[in-house]
Amino acid sequence: MNNNEILLKVENLKVWFEIRKTIISQPLYVKAVDGVNFELKKGETISLVGESGSGKTTLGRTILRLYEPTDGKILFEDKDITNLPFKELNWYRKETGFVQQDPFGALAPHFSVYRILEEPLIINKIGTPESRKEMIIKALEEVKLTPVSDFINKYPHMLSGGQMQRVVIARALIMKPKLIVADEPVSMLDASVRIEILDLLRDIQMNHNMSLIYITHDLATVRAFSDWIFIMYAGNLVERAKTDELLSNPLHPYTKALLSAIPDPDPSNRFKLREVPPGEPPNLINPPEGCRFHPRCSFAMEICKKEEPKEINIAKDHWVKCWLYKEG
Amino acid sequence: MADVVLKLENFSVSYKTQKGSLEAVRNVSFELKEGETLAIVGESGCGKSSLARGILRLFPRNLEKTSGKIYLDGEDILSLKEDNFRKNILWSKISMVFQGAMNSLNPVLKVVYQVAEPLIVHMGMDKDSAFKRAKEMLSLVGISESFAERYPFELSGGMKQRVVIAMALVTHPKVVILDEPTSALDVITQANILNLLKVLKKELNLTYIFITHDIATTSELADKVAVMYAGEIVELSPAENFYNSPAHGYTMMLLNSVPTLKTTKKLKSIPGSPPSLISPPKGCRFHPRCQYVMDICREKEPPMFKKGEEHFAKCYIGESHE
Repeated sequence: MNNNEILLKVENLKVWFEIRKTIISQPLYVKAVDGVNFELKKGETISLVGESGSGKTTLGRTILRLYEPTDGKILFEDKDITNLPFKELNWYRKETGFVQQDPFGALAPHFSVYRILEEPLIINKIGTPESRKEMIIKALEEVKLTPVSDFINKYPHMLSGGQMQRVVIARALIMKPKLIVADEPVSMLDASVRIEILDLLRDIQMNHNMSLIYITHDLATVRAFSDWIFIMYAGNLVERAKTDELLSNPLHPYTKALLSAIPDPDPSNRFKLREVPPGEPPNLINPPEGCRFHPRCSFAMEICKKEEPKEINIAKDHWVKCWLYKEG
Repeated sequence: MADVVLKLENFSVSYKTQKGSLEAVRNVSFELKEGETLAIVGESGCGKSSLARGILRLFPRNLEKTSGKIYLDGEDILSLKEDNFRKNILWSKISMVFQGAMNSLNPVLKVVYQVAEPLIVHMGMDKDSAFKRAKEMLSLVGISESFAERYPFELSGGMKQRVVIAMALVTHPKVVILDEPTSALDVITQANILNLLKVLKKELNLTYIFITHDIATTSELADKVAVMYAGEIVELSPAENFYNSPAHGYTMMLLNSVPTLKTTKKLKSIPGSPPSLISPPKGCRFHPRCQYVMDICREKEPPMFKKGEEHFAKCYIGESHE
């Protein structure tokens, strides 16, 4: 097992969605992802954290090439997949898996669990009906839907939310991908089931030495779960670091605000008010000049309003995009 | 000593289903003093929303029966006639912020009108003074005059949630029921709304019933915590006891499943899923999932034991039951 191999490399990735184009007006763009750089090694997990509208889902889907990148590069095992046409992406679909946010909407209601899991195998012309059945049973065992015979012929409406999400995970898994993108896999589930599903994802990821990108807005769940935390704000990665480093030494004012907003179960909380940055995340059609966080930042300086900060490597495995810090 | 505002005695709600009668809320009793906040926590399907809606008499069509007593300021409101209840209690004395209400605002009405509506409909106010009061209430929840004249699609999620809170408060109720008021919001917006609820509580001396499945947020508001499981309150305790000395097996396991930033403890989920309420398990309803289960739990339903000052739990742990 070579764990230092880079599986995925993203360079200056931009995803802009065009809105309102008429003959007379210039096209406007929603800059959902605007200049993102990172590397993901084999067998590692990244938690991508940000508020809704920060572009984290767009980034995840673009990495899977479900969206077209506008600019930049995506390299998967050193192959440039940025602009491959859809027809030539079939091999890439087999290498990647996707776990959707909403299991209630992700499963076809008229397909049985068996059929749902067989579908990707049929499409990719894998195995015979008998060997496919074996693979399906194995996948269901892996996501702990046991005894398998209880579940294999059920339809989605007969399953609970947690069970449905296990089927979604089994489907993402069945092609034995090298990379899984899980977009808020537990946000629709009950608190008591969440940990179970996250543990399951973590186990599967470790057993198969897969890489995982876990997209979430809930920082409280990431500690036990990931190697890296990336903080996203208004289309930029404002800070990225190893999990422990980021939680013990957050640098970007936005990261600090996020961390202090998370309720900890301590009954004395009810007597105090939390410090929260004022305002709302910016409009991505016309984001603020300079640093995108400056209108809400209590440390904003003159330069923050004018010039966009560069991402600097401040310590080993720790990058931050903020004028408060200098390289080295 | 503050007065008791709301008191429930053996309140039960059951629904008719094709498979038989379903007791969604069973023998719930608690009392709340003025200015106190009770948090009700539990998994989905444990009956917490049924309890909240039951207090307001907002029943689904398949209601079978209700029983028990609900006292508001000493008056039994469960025995009131329907029109009397609607006129004098609903919204004017008790109001509610519904789960996901921010997504149910009427898209074609300005928000100020929607906030003023309960005043016009329930309190018989004329339009001008209702609008004036609605604007005052909106500014109290942090929505400026210029935003009051806008439509819901022009507001962000956090602002819509503020509007919904203003709607619940505009009639000056004593008791406000909050059903998952922050579940659809981002962490920073959530912290903002919780701050607002804390400020309003102090300024208006409100009594909250705060329903949530997120244990970490209960600590932001709760003075008392009631844990619900399979239709029953299984533990009722002051917030300090809830976190520091839980007495029910379910509460202990629930607390072990909460991810936090500060601790690195190994999280443990609760195996299995909640029981069917049509044919609940014998004995303690939690025993099939409980890691501390004893023989007696399978046989005999535990009574409510007193575990400490104002601390009650339906659990045999730590009790001699010979």
